[in-house]
Amino acid sequence: MRPTGIWFSSYAAEARVLETARARIWLGLLGAGLLGLPLVSGTWLLGEMTNLFITLIAVCGLFVTVGMAGQINIAQSAFVGVGAFTAAKLSGLGVPVWAVIPAAALASGVVSVLFALPAARVKGFYLALTTLAAQVMFPIVILALPMSWLGGLVGMPVAPPRLFGIGLGTPAGLYLLGLVLAALAVWTSYNLPRSRIGRAFRAVHDNDSAAGVMGIPVTRIKIAAFFVGALYAGVAGAILAYLLQFVTVSSFTLFASVWYLGMLIVGGLHSPLGPILGVIFVTLVQEGLHSAGNAILQSGSGLGGGAVFAASSVVLGLCILAALIFEPRGLAHLWTQTMTAFRLWPFPRN
Amino acid sequence: MIEFVQILIEGALVGLVYGLVAISFVVIYRASKIINLAQGEVVVVGAFLLWTFTEGMAGIGYPLPLWLALLLTLAGCVAFGWTIERTVFRPLIGQSAFTIFMAGVALLILLRGLAQLVWGAQSRSAPAILPEGALDLGPFLVNTRLLIGAVFTILLTQALHLFFTRSRLGLRLAAVAEDHTTAHSLGVSVRQAIAVAWIMGTVVATAAAVVLLSGSILSLEVAVIGFKALPVALLGGMESIRGAPLAGLIIGIFEALASAYLDPLTNGAASGLLPYVVMIAVLLIRPYGLFGWRKIERL
Repeated sequence: MRPTGIWFSSYAAEARVLETARARIWLGLLGAGLLGLPLVSGTWLLGEMTNLFITLIAVCGLFVTVGMAGQINIAQSAFVGVGAFTAAKLSGLGVPVWAVIPAAALASGVVSVLFALPAARVKGFYLALTTLAAQVMFPIVILALPMSWLGGLVGMPVAPPRLFGIGLGTPAGLYLLGLVLAALAVWTSYNLPRSRIGRAFRAVHDNDSAAGVMGIPVTRIKIAAFFVGALYAGVAGAILAYLLQFVTVSSFTLFASVWYLGMLIVGGLHSPLGPILGVIFVTLVQEGLHSAGNAILQSGSGLGGGAVFAASSVVLGLCILAALIFEPRGLAHLWTQTMTAFRLWPFPRN
Repeated sequence: MIEFVQILIEGALVGLVYGLVAISFVVIYRASKIINLAQGEVVVVGAFLLWTFTEGMAGIGYPLPLWLALLLTLAGCVAFGWTIERTVFRPLIGQSAFTIFMAGVALLILLRGLAQLVWGAQSRSAPAILPEGALDLGPFLVNTRLLIGAVFTILLTQALHLFFTRSRLGLRLAAVAEDHTTAHSLGVSVRQAIAVAWIMGTVVATAAAVVLLSGSILSLEVAVIGFKALPVALLGGMESIRGAPLAGLIIGIFEALASAYLDPLTNGAASGLLPYVVMIAVLLIRPYGLFGWRKIERL
């Protein structure tokens, strides 16, 4: 809901995502702050933020597939992996960054289409199972391929990225790369629901039989949803490869896919704000548990580092269940409600 | 030739274990229309419960007799299944299939974390409940543990089949699997159905854990069995109890053949990929599986 006194004199003005000048100023300030962060912060924070951006890109992709088109995808981590391995292979061959990232995105997209093809025959849960197959098959295939192709069990080194003669391999460089691409991912996921294909995704999400009756090519749209979602995953994978400098199969597990889904559900499936809030929330919880875990470790009790990971699993699981049971629209909805209450104050929000 | 038959026997016996886990999928689905992605975690929890009441109690100086340990495990499974119904699925009755699937995803994360917090990540030896050894049948060797498991699977299948098709409660559960809202409006208690489904599902999963792990290693990684059994359940048909062991036989035999003859050629990938390739093929050709219910879509 809008505050009082805001009106539009043209249709284009009303269709904007950022409706008011104040919203644009706030966004500009946020962007400037994020751009300026490398000047003031240490390496640790930059690394954490880069990780957050990578996760955000992957979850934005999941928002397109799962949130907008309603097709369950439990292989996002495998698609990130395809992107990472493509980036590693190409960077090893000396391909520059600006070509590696689109190539990684495309590679992930093509692989996802392969597993989305059963959409022609099955739907809903059964389609989710083919993505499960993709996730389980991914490490088996990589490990079985000859060592010289994708590194097999050992993994592959990644050459540090260079753009226009500037080395981006530093923490600050990677941070900026992640920031720019995450901004792009957020921008596209805000605008996709307003486009023709985005509306088709939404129609298929709501009722695919009805969408078919209205003339939407349902199968093609479903495959497109997987393709677009995997494009994001490929980009995330490419940056992750640069960040890790060494890719191995063990980084891309089913469990990671489930975590991505969890972040999306906690944040909210139906709003582009969802991925952002979900990723930030889960990262904060994880970091909080990490520091709590470190404090416990230093105090000398017998708990291992595994317990911290287990505790964050428990917390995330509980958060997803709480979101599903009490607030299926996630943190994004809570955010809108809070903003509305704030704007209407002192009048009650009905 | 002897080697070939030996491979067939071993594949069939392992396949029936997959079938047993698949039955625990099917039981839950058949009674509540929930496809539980976390079934592998349920197997792990069942196995850890059993471990606690046998080795764990012996470890702290209170060894229990085997029958009491098994009884306590059974009680633990019932309590566990009932808790899940009460806390997770009861509030979600009437929600979309998507939400219920996501609840399964959440359970997967939650149960894995809980198992690690409660029992720790280290692997340990599982209690040996079934006798380990080999039975000589002419030139062939049959693993006794798996043989007992196979007989158990077949008996259990028949019993559950009779339960679901002959008993009043079983038929009511089938109505819930058809449609929650319709079942509810006809006076069938959906809550009760889901509770029964989960209790049976955990008990069967724990039985599978006994057969699978008896005398071998118990760790969190055992949960992978859930994802191996999912293609089996799908091939048999999610609604068919008797389809599950049959599909298990098919997958087990083909997996054994692939691992004997194709793995040397493909660097060990063929047997790992096979169940999932079968799964995708089933989805493309017969999405409802060999014996599942064919659903009609209405607008």
